Amino acid sequence: MADAVTELFSAPLTFNWTLSFRCNFSCSHCYSRDEQAEELPTADILRIIDILAEKQVPFINFGGGEPLIRDDLFEIADYATGKGLNVSMNSNGWLVDTAAANRLRACGFKSVGISIDSAEAALHDDFRNMPGSFDRAVAALDHLRRAGVRTTMSSVISRINYRNFRDLLDLARAHGVAQVYLHNFKCSGRGLKNREDLDLSPEEWKAFYVEALQVKQETTDLLISFDDPVISSLPGYDEKSLVSGSSCGKLSLHMRPNGDITPCGFIPLVVGNILKDDFDTLWYDSPILKKMRNKEASGKCMDCGAFEKCLGGCTARAFAVTGEFNQPDPHCWK
Amino acid sequence: MASSFDPETLGGKITQGRNRLLKKLLRNPDIVWRVEKRREAEIVKALEAGEDVSDKGSVILIISGMMHQLNLVGGKIWSLCDGQRSLGDLIEALAVEFEVERDELAEDVEGFVDDLLQRGWLKHG
Repeated sequence: MADAVTELFSAPLTFNWTLSFRCNFSCSHCYSRDEQAEELPTADILRIIDILAEKQVPFINFGGGEPLIRDDLFEIADYATGKGLNVSMNSNGWLVDTAAANRLRACGFKSVGISIDSAEAALHDDFRNMPGSFDRAVAALDHLRRAGVRTTMSSVISRINYRNFRDLLDLARAHGVAQVYLHNFKCSGRGLKNREDLDLSPEEWKAFYVEALQVKQETTDLLISFDDPVISSLPGYDEKSLVSGSSCGKLSLHMRPNGDITPCGFIPLVVGNILKDDFDTLWYDSPILKKMRNKEASGKCMDCGAFEKCLGGCTARAFAVTGEFNQPDPHCWK
Repeated sequence: MASSFDPETLGGKITQGRNRLLKKLLRNPDIVWRVEKRREAEIVKALEAGEDVSDKGSVILIISGMMHQLNLVGGKIWSLCDGQRSLGDLIEALAVEFEVERDELAEDVEGFVDDLLQRGWLKHG
């Protein structure tokens, strides 16, 4: 079941780019904290940007690892924006002081997302295993706003915050945040190891999303995003995604620090390397991407009327738990 | 989700004289867009084979999270609106590339450009 859009595209719209797996934090849910990969020198990274510009990939989002761990982040972003790419990033905020915020503005970041997982400072600090991280993250939002950078807030929904997500929205409002991403929990990396402590049951996910979708419908002063295909059959879901099911491998790809491409950051299957392989061949002919773009119902999805919309939900979660793309999303309540 | 713009169905008449033909046209810089090159090559091939390609998109625009498609002629017009070219320049360029009667071409191009100006996707530079 391939989307017409996927057939049309000559490249993804977004590259989620992990420049480094290094991080100054050690979070309980991190998908990449235990990953290792050789990091590319600046010159190679600029060569990759040339490739992305040539392929007309419009958006780059730097993640990690902590992007600001790399001293050359500003140079890289400056080069990318000079090539006409739209650059954003996700950060834990620790290294975003006034000077850094001004530099991020100067090198053309369209937006910067700060991760905050609880409106309670102690809970956030504990989850992130970093005392003082809540205060630094909130301060980062303020530094960025004063520098004129659009801010977003990323909150991974888990057992520590799903009952109090409204407090996160209030926190965002208080600090001039434009958009809040209530990310679905991924059972990858440490997220898989700590799944029993952090993940919700399928019924709890449903209850959370029903409530959160209602709040989203009632909210006019803040953009709220979920990006979770498992919710596409719920009442109140009106997001007009360009594709059904997971967008990974269709609208977006992920790049590891050594240039290896994976469908998304949570699926550790390497499609190829952007510096060593022909990009068009990877994009059009990769067996992994083809499989992600042509999911087939299996298990309980076979008799489910929602499959056409959700295509089995999050492929990364299904793969992490079962080793199969086509298995139902373990978060699915149906 | 997606829509195509067919210059042949977007009418319009040149009514505001020569000045209008000379104003430079510029794409809205907030609009993300891309030429889908492989698709474009397929469409050109189909056109050369005499097929009707007016409803086949080759340029995508992402506007407020929605995707729109422009057909081959619409995409050419869009690509040319770089702030350096006027409506008259567009007509000249397209007349070289497409075998269409001149007045008909001018009328269609103006109608298409008017539509995009009204949408805020183009502006006068």
